[in-house]
Amino acid sequence: MRPLRVLAATGAVALGLGLAAAAPSSAAGTSDVSVLHGVPGLTVDVYANGDPLLTDFKPGTLTDPVKLPEGTYDLAVFPAGEDPDGTPAIKADDVAVPSGANITIVAHLTADGTPVLTPFVNDTSRIKPGETRLTVRHTAAAPAVDVRAGGTPVFEGLENPKEAKADIPAAKVSADVVLAGTDTVAIGPADLDLKEGTNTIVYAWGSAEDKNLALAVQTISGLHSAPGGVPSGTGGLLEDGLPMPLVAVTVVALAGAAFAGRRAVLATRRG
Amino acid sequence: MRRWWILVAACLVVAVAAPLGWWLTRPSASEGVAVTSVGAVPSSSAPSSAGPSSPSASPEPSASASASRPAVPKVTARPAAPEDEGPEAATNPVSLSIPAIDVRAAVDPVGVQKDGSMVIPRSVDRVGWYRYGPPPGSAAGAAVVAGHVDSKAQGPGAMFRLREVGVGDRVDVRLADGRTVRYQVVGKETLVKKRLPTERLFARDGAPRLVLITCGGPFVPELSSYRDNLVVVAEPVGGAA
Repeated sequence: MRPLRVLAATGAVALGLGLAAAAPSSAAGTSDVSVLHGVPGLTVDVYANGDPLLTDFKPGTLTDPVKLPEGTYDLAVFPAGEDPDGTPAIKADDVAVPSGANITIVAHLTADGTPVLTPFVNDTSRIKPGETRLTVRHTAAAPAVDVRAGGTPVFEGLENPKEAKADIPAAKVSADVVLAGTDTVAIGPADLDLKEGTNTIVYAWGSAEDKNLALAVQTISGLHSAPGGVPSGTGGLLEDGLPMPLVAVTVVALAGAAFAGRRAVLATRRG
Repeated sequence: MRRWWILVAACLVVAVAAPLGWWLTRPSASEGVAVTSVGAVPSSSAPSSAGPSSPSASPEPSASASASRPAVPKVTARPAAPEDEGPEAATNPVSLSIPAIDVRAAVDPVGVQKDGSMVIPRSVDRVGWYRYGPPPGSAAGAAVVAGHVDSKAQGPGAMFRLREVGVGDRVDVRLADGRTVRYQVVGKETLVKKRLPTERLFARDGAPRLVLITCGGPFVPELSSYRDNLVVVAEPVGGAA
C-alpha cells in the first residue's frame, strides 16, 4: 500500500456542467448526492463546508443519496478521527451542486494512484420498457480497460476517470473487466442483475499495482416507462352488435306477424 | 279470425322483446370506479437510489452550519460490492381464476415486444403477467395481467368473457409458492387503444391492485384488431390464503 499522498487544492470542481452556472442563494432546489469511497486501505471522515458529512467511511462503501441544497461546497477528506483543522488527504473546493440533479461524488485514485474527488452526474432519464441502463466508471489506478458482459466487450478503451453507458435489454449478466484490447482479466467476473427500468452504475476501483482492484455497484431505480400498448385480440369473434340468432328470431317474428296479419285481414273481409 | 290477431300480437311481442331483452341484459361497457383512479399517486414519483440493500437515509441538519454555505445533512453508508440476489420467482403468479364468469387460465411472465407493446402469450388459453411490474400480492403498485380475447386461428381466448365481469366479482391469483391472492373487481372500462393511459395502468407505485386487460369494442378487419382495450381493476381483499 503506497502512502496516501496529500493533494493540494484541486481548484473548483464544477458539477452538473452547465447546470451549475452562478447559483443564487435564494434558490430552494436540491440535488440527490451520494458518495462512494474508492480509495483502498484508508477509513476516512468527510467534511463539507467544515461540517462532518460522513464519519468512519470505509473503502468500498456507498452512501445513501442525500438531498443537498443547491449551492457551493468545500469538500475535505481526512483519515478517520483526524483533526479537520489540519491538511486534508483529499480536498475539492467550491464544488457547485446544482438543483434537480443526481450526483455521485467518488473518492478514488487517478490512473497513476493519486487520491482525488470526482463528481459524476447520473443519468436518470426515462428508460424504454424492457430495458436497463448500464453505466461503467473507471475510477481505479489502472490503465485503460474493456468491460465485458458474457465474454463480449460492451465498452472498450475506458480510461480513468471516464464513464460509458448504454441502454440494453434487462438481463442478468456475468461481467468482467479486462486490460484494453486483451483477454487479461483485471476484475471479476461478477454476476450483475441488470433490472428493467434501473440505472446500474458499476465502478472499477482500487489499484492494479497493489492488486486490490474491485467493483462497486450503485443502482438508481424508478426510471422505467410503461409498455406502449396491449394488443390482445385478432379474431373479431366478439360481437359488438345484436347477435345473429337474435336477429334471426326478430326477423322470423316480424314475418310471422305480417303473415298472421294478412290472414286476419282476409278473414275479417270474408266474415 | 281472433286467433290471427292474437298471433299478430304474439309475433310483435317477440320481435320487440328479443332485441330489447338482449340490450337490457348485455354486459355494460363500463362499471364501477374509473380504472385509472385506483391506486393513483398524486404526484409523479421521483427515481429512488439505492445500493444492494435499502436502509433509508436519515438527514439531520448540522447545527454548526456556516452562514454563507448550505447546511450539510448527515448520511449513512453501506458496502457497494456486487451481490447475487438469487432467484425471486416464488411470488410469480401461475394461474388466474374468475369464478363468476368461468375464467381459468395459466399465467406466463411476459415482457415487451420490439415495438414496446406488451407481450401477450401466443396461446389464447394463457394470459401474461407483466414481469417488470410488481407481482400480485405486492405491497404496492399495479400487477398487470393481459390475455387475448380471441384470435383468428385459435378462436375465443381466456379473456373472452371478461366484459361480463361485474363489480364485486372475485378474482383469485395463485402464486408459484402456493399462496392465493384474492381480489375483488372495483371497476371496468372500455378505453380506446390509441389513448390507453398505460403509464397509469402499469404504475408500479400507489395502492396494491390487479389490472386485467384484453381487447374490446368494435373489430377493425383492415387492422385485424379491435379498436379498444377492456380494462378491469380489482383490489385485494383479506390476506393471502
